[in-house]
Amino acid sequence: MDITRRQGLMALTALAAPAGLASPAFAQGAAASRAETLRQVTGNAVNTLDPTMPGSTREAFGISMNVYDRLVAFGRKQVDGNWVFDHTVIRGELAERFEVAADGLKITLHLRGNAKWHDGTPVTAEDVKWSLDRAVSAKSLAGPQFTTGSLSKPEQFRIAGPGVIEVLLDKPDRLALSNLAVPYAIMINSKLAKQNATAEDPWAQTWLQNNTAASGAYKVETYRPGVQVTLTRNEDWKNGVDGVLPFFKRVILQTVPEAATRANLIERGDADLSIDLQASDITTLESRAKVKVASIPQTNGFTHISFNTQVAPFDNVKVRQAIAAALPYDSMFKAALFGRGRPLFGGSFSGQPATADFPQPLPLKQDVERAKALLAEAGLANGFSTPFAFSAGQAATAEPLAALVQEALAKIGVKVEIQKMPDAQFNTLVAEKKINFYTDAGTAWLPATYYFFYLYFTRDQRWNFASWNNPRIVELSNAARFETDQAAYDAACREMIGILAEQVPLLMLWQPNMDAVMGPAIQNFTYQFYRQVDFRDLKRA
Amino acid sequence: MRKLQAIGRRIGGRLLSSVPAILGVVVLTFLLMRVLPGDPAVFFASGPSAGQQEIEDLRKAMGLDQPIPVQLVRYLQDIATGNLGRSMTTGQAVLTDMQQRLPASLELTFSALFLALACALPLGILAALRPGSAVDHVVRFLCTLGVCMPTFVSGLLLIYAFYYLLGWAPDPTGRIDIFASTPPEITGFLLFDFAVTGDWDGFRAAFSQLILPACTMALFVLAPLARMTRASMLAVLGSDFIRTARSIGLAPWRVILVYALRNALLPVLTIAGIVFSTMLGANVLVEKVFSWPGVASYALDALLASDYAPVQGFVLLMATIFVLVNLLVDILYGLADPRIAAE
Repeated sequence: MDITRRQGLMALTALAAPAGLASPAFAQGAAASRAETLRQVTGNAVNTLDPTMPGSTREAFGISMNVYDRLVAFGRKQVDGNWVFDHTVIRGELAERFEVAADGLKITLHLRGNAKWHDGTPVTAEDVKWSLDRAVSAKSLAGPQFTTGSLSKPEQFRIAGPGVIEVLLDKPDRLALSNLAVPYAIMINSKLAKQNATAEDPWAQTWLQNNTAASGAYKVETYRPGVQVTLTRNEDWKNGVDGVLPFFKRVILQTVPEAATRANLIERGDADLSIDLQASDITTLESRAKVKVASIPQTNGFTHISFNTQVAPFDNVKVRQAIAAALPYDSMFKAALFGRGRPLFGGSFSGQPATADFPQPLPLKQDVERAKALLAEAGLANGFSTPFAFSAGQAATAEPLAALVQEALAKIGVKVEIQKMPDAQFNTLVAEKKINFYTDAGTAWLPATYYFFYLYFTRDQRWNFASWNNPRIVELSNAARFETDQAAYDAACREMIGILAEQVPLLMLWQPNMDAVMGPAIQNFTYQFYRQVDFRDLKRA
Repeated sequence: MRKLQAIGRRIGGRLLSSVPAILGVVVLTFLLMRVLPGDPAVFFASGPSAGQQEIEDLRKAMGLDQPIPVQLVRYLQDIATGNLGRSMTTGQAVLTDMQQRLPASLELTFSALFLALACALPLGILAALRPGSAVDHVVRFLCTLGVCMPTFVSGLLLIYAFYYLLGWAPDPTGRIDIFASTPPEITGFLLFDFAVTGDWDGFRAAFSQLILPACTMALFVLAPLARMTRASMLAVLGSDFIRTARSIGLAPWRVILVYALRNALLPVLTIAGIVFSTMLGANVLVEKVFSWPGVASYALDALLASDYAPVQGFVLLMATIFVLVNLLVDILYGLADPRIAAE
């Protein structure tokens, strides 16, 4: 049987068709506005425009910071050539200025006279009061956050005249004012929101998930959940530093799940910025030098190894100290992070530290002989066996870490079985306190020392990773919260850090860097406490 | 007329008999999701200051505080009224999400299947005409290569070559150039929508975005289609009626394409139906690599977050599509082989 020429040609044409179809790059749309457009690519997605909704992602916080104004905002400072937020400097945002009473029980905020909502109507004290009432009254994530600043009742917010709002406190809470700057503290156009509220939903929570009633630097142009958000600059915005408008007229935040694709996009110049690339890609990108990498330690976060201090054998402080002395911190730091971060081990103090800053390096060092001795003192000279868990989402860093933990603990007779779990399962088990030895990470929006201790080391709640219950820490953190004397506050903080270093309910390992990878012309990137991009500061040179 | 009636009765019968299967799938998925470790309320109440109270509230809002039988009855009632629940991962109603994302997946799958068939049929025929020859070996090699390479590897390779190195392909993210204006929303099938509105620039843009992911998927399903074509062509070419056709001097292309191929097509159709359903659900890797906003990546994200409603909705959708595709294949059988339709 023969194939005729014609048959052969037909088959070949069919074969060649797909190859011929790959037309040259489609360059339309890269028009004049490309230079004024910022395109950020991320592996995650925005799932709500109202950041206070349960389940809202970090990207949703980032978008809301650019779309909504808060009454006040944190300043920023330069550290090692990079901009980092500064929670000790608070400036007005929607409020032009504010005064805190000498006794710390009253904060008076004066709104900007010329501030307008996106629909052009003026911002009034009634709107602000409604927004603050919503934060403490509606069932959302804002309520529990606000209580950390002693803000819990609508009666605490009072209209004291046109454009003047008073916040009243029972006790001089150190973080009351700071809480007005967090992503949850959005200021909402109450007239617009009320039009879309219903009897079952008086705070318009359903409507605000997909719509905005804001006054911020950017307006939402398109919102496709899980795919992309496009923002356009609000030309009437005057609430920034010196009333300056942001540089970029348009911002696109696009979800690109594959990290390698994100890296390609930035290197080719098609995307401008990404803050969630893989550590291994970043080293390669840096060596090819086509992009700029800003590596900034996440100063308000920490990666840790936690013990369940309520369960044997980890309820014995000697066992915890033994494990703390057995781990090879330097190797773990290099294997997990390629050294891209700030170590929180290897501190040199004993007793109490010199400063009240937190997190700071604690005196954790590898000393295998001491580990063995401590384990013997605890009556476990023959060792024991334990699982060690981490979540699949953190596998890139946790997997090498777990392998080193396993190897190091084998040397003192502790057998470790590594458990990698899906994120949802891991989170559930951690919340239910059913994992006794694991690694995880935490971040505090407001990096005040007492706040770290209050959030992560006290009370029977989810974020008390080690289920630690130390009466002295509870007493000190509660006192420090309302302490107005700086010296007394510092003393309390240093004592708490000393107790933590001695009791090791969890081992603070390091603060991973945020690696912001951007086109060479992008400038002014700031590391923000909510770990997202503030588009308002960015520029293209 | 009688024939049409017969077809109608067949369709009706098939649809009716698939109801228990779909119901079974729905109940099974429902139970499976609840057996899986991982509490969605804990996962979603994971804000920096969310405590036990918030978790309880969320559980109540999601109806998870009720016993499982009650939840199941409520869920079935909801489905009956066309309410698939709300996704926590996107914050939208599952039905809305599906409506937006299904066309993207379907467009990609159809294009990939078309591409795969367009390559696999000629390749399979060529291989069958000369079994054991160099052509046959080349086809076998191509098929092996396509099926061995996981789609995310071939996808990343294509991106690396055509986008990163050569710069021929547009940036491999989504269905349309990100800086261009938004596409018209008629059916959600972008190629169709652009063609209808006569926006040929847009059509070209959507087309060039589609080509790489479609090739990636086509490569993966090339093997079953080409191998099946080859095997079935080999069997048919050896049969008596082909020998007769040849002996009476019909043109060789007529013998092969009209007489042999039509008879060899039945098993290929079956495989194509299965391949299509599999592709739609299993193209999650391609969707992830190319940031394609389809249903499969949507379901995966939801599954990782223990988000019940979207996963259940996705399985229901897939079951329905599977039933429909099988039905379609049955009808096409009738066209390819009138004996079956008469039964």
